[in-house]
Amino acid sequence: MKIVIAIPSMKEGGLEDIVNPNFGRCKNFTFVELKEGEIDSVKVVQNEAMNAMGGAGIQAGGIIGNNNATAAIIGSIGPNAVESLNALNIETYQAPEKQITIKEAVNLFKKNALKKISSANVGSHYGLGGQG
Amino acid sequence: MDNKAKIICVTGGKGGTGKTLCAVNIAVMFKDAGHNVLLIDGDVENPNTFLLLGGELENPKEVPFFKPKIIKAKCSKCGLCAENCATHALLHVKDQYPIPILSVCSGCQLCYKICPEEAIEPDFQPIGWTYYTSVGGIDLLLGELKPSEMRSVAVVEALLEQMEEIMEKEPDKYDRIVLDTAPGAHCDVEALIDKADIVIPVTEPTKFGKLDLLRIIELIQLLKKDYKAIVNRSSLLGFREQFLEELKEANIEILGDIPLDDNIVQSYCQGVPIMAKNSEYKDAEGYKAFQQIFINLKKWLDSLGGN
Repeated sequence: MKIVIAIPSMKEGGLEDIVNPNFGRCKNFTFVELKEGEIDSVKVVQNEAMNAMGGAGIQAGGIIGNNNATAAIIGSIGPNAVESLNALNIETYQAPEKQITIKEAVNLFKKNALKKISSANVGSHYGLGGQG
Repeated sequence: MDNKAKIICVTGGKGGTGKTLCAVNIAVMFKDAGHNVLLIDGDVENPNTFLLLGGELENPKEVPFFKPKIIKAKCSKCGLCAENCATHALLHVKDQYPIPILSVCSGCQLCYKICPEEAIEPDFQPIGWTYYTSVGGIDLLLGELKPSEMRSVAVVEALLEQMEEIMEKEPDKYDRIVLDTAPGAHCDVEALIDKADIVIPVTEPTKFGKLDLLRIIELIQLLKKDYKAIVNRSSLLGFREQFLEELKEANIEILGDIPLDDNIVQSYCQGVPIMAKNSEYKDAEGYKAFQQIFINLKKWLDSLGGN
């Protein structure tokens, strides 16, 4: 079964980059495709929603949906983004609080060590420094 | 001669200054002077006027708000609706049906209008209610926003539509319409100020009061409306003279001021307007202050011409 995991990235993306704790306003998304449980390909896509005035979470959901994500590993995620990912049937997993690389996050995913998220864990506009 | 009803908007910016207190008592004073009065409560997140008139609300009328519904059988998944939605309230991923994210939908209906397959249907959901009733002898048109809904202005607009309808169908029904706004200077307040012939911002003699008064005056001036302020709780901490002087220096005209008066608080808590016909507070300082305000208000309206 093909699994495509979307992971918000801090800098230029890729397996060695750090997981960005922010979903809607991260710089890039790294897409890691797993085939038979092993990493098959890695792709980086810019997050065009990064500077959106509003609806960043929704637009980010659209971006990862359009890149065929079946799962996502996320730090903080707001209410609109969660609604979007749930509506797109993209399984959302909670990234650990400490800083980790994208490769480490994928490993945790492979070991089933990540909890699923089904509701927002921060308020709206958190990525802009707001609390809702 | 202009026979249209005179519309007086009571606002203030700062919360808790006494807008509802003033709006209700001004309405009562007009009624007792023989006018046909309509009081409109536009503070739709916290409509309280009916409490101060000692009444209850009946016969709620739902205010419907547009939300889109996608008819999958007709939808070609072209994504035109999502592309053009200003608030990103339609999430479209290629080869999938667009998904409405209703919490950010502004109700503009653009998606419904532009869908080439007519695959979007309006799904009207209630965003609040309006009440048109008579309480304590005053005709009251009141709006209430459903808690957690975002767009207060939609309920205010429903109130103003109802007001326009009444004025068109029965132009002689009212000759004085008093509008009570919410605190703040948001577009729901703007919509009410915009309909007024005159505007009365209510403030208090503190730094907060002055700053918020200046802010609401900015909005009033933007809408090119004539205004005069009421300073409520004017005897607070002995600042009255200084505050009135400061307003004079800032070229802000005063309609009147109301001192701190336990009698006002008592009548307020009883749910009886202090200026009610059989008021037991006719000797109170607050009562006399309102009387003077009414005299000044009548002079002001007369100076504008019309009846």
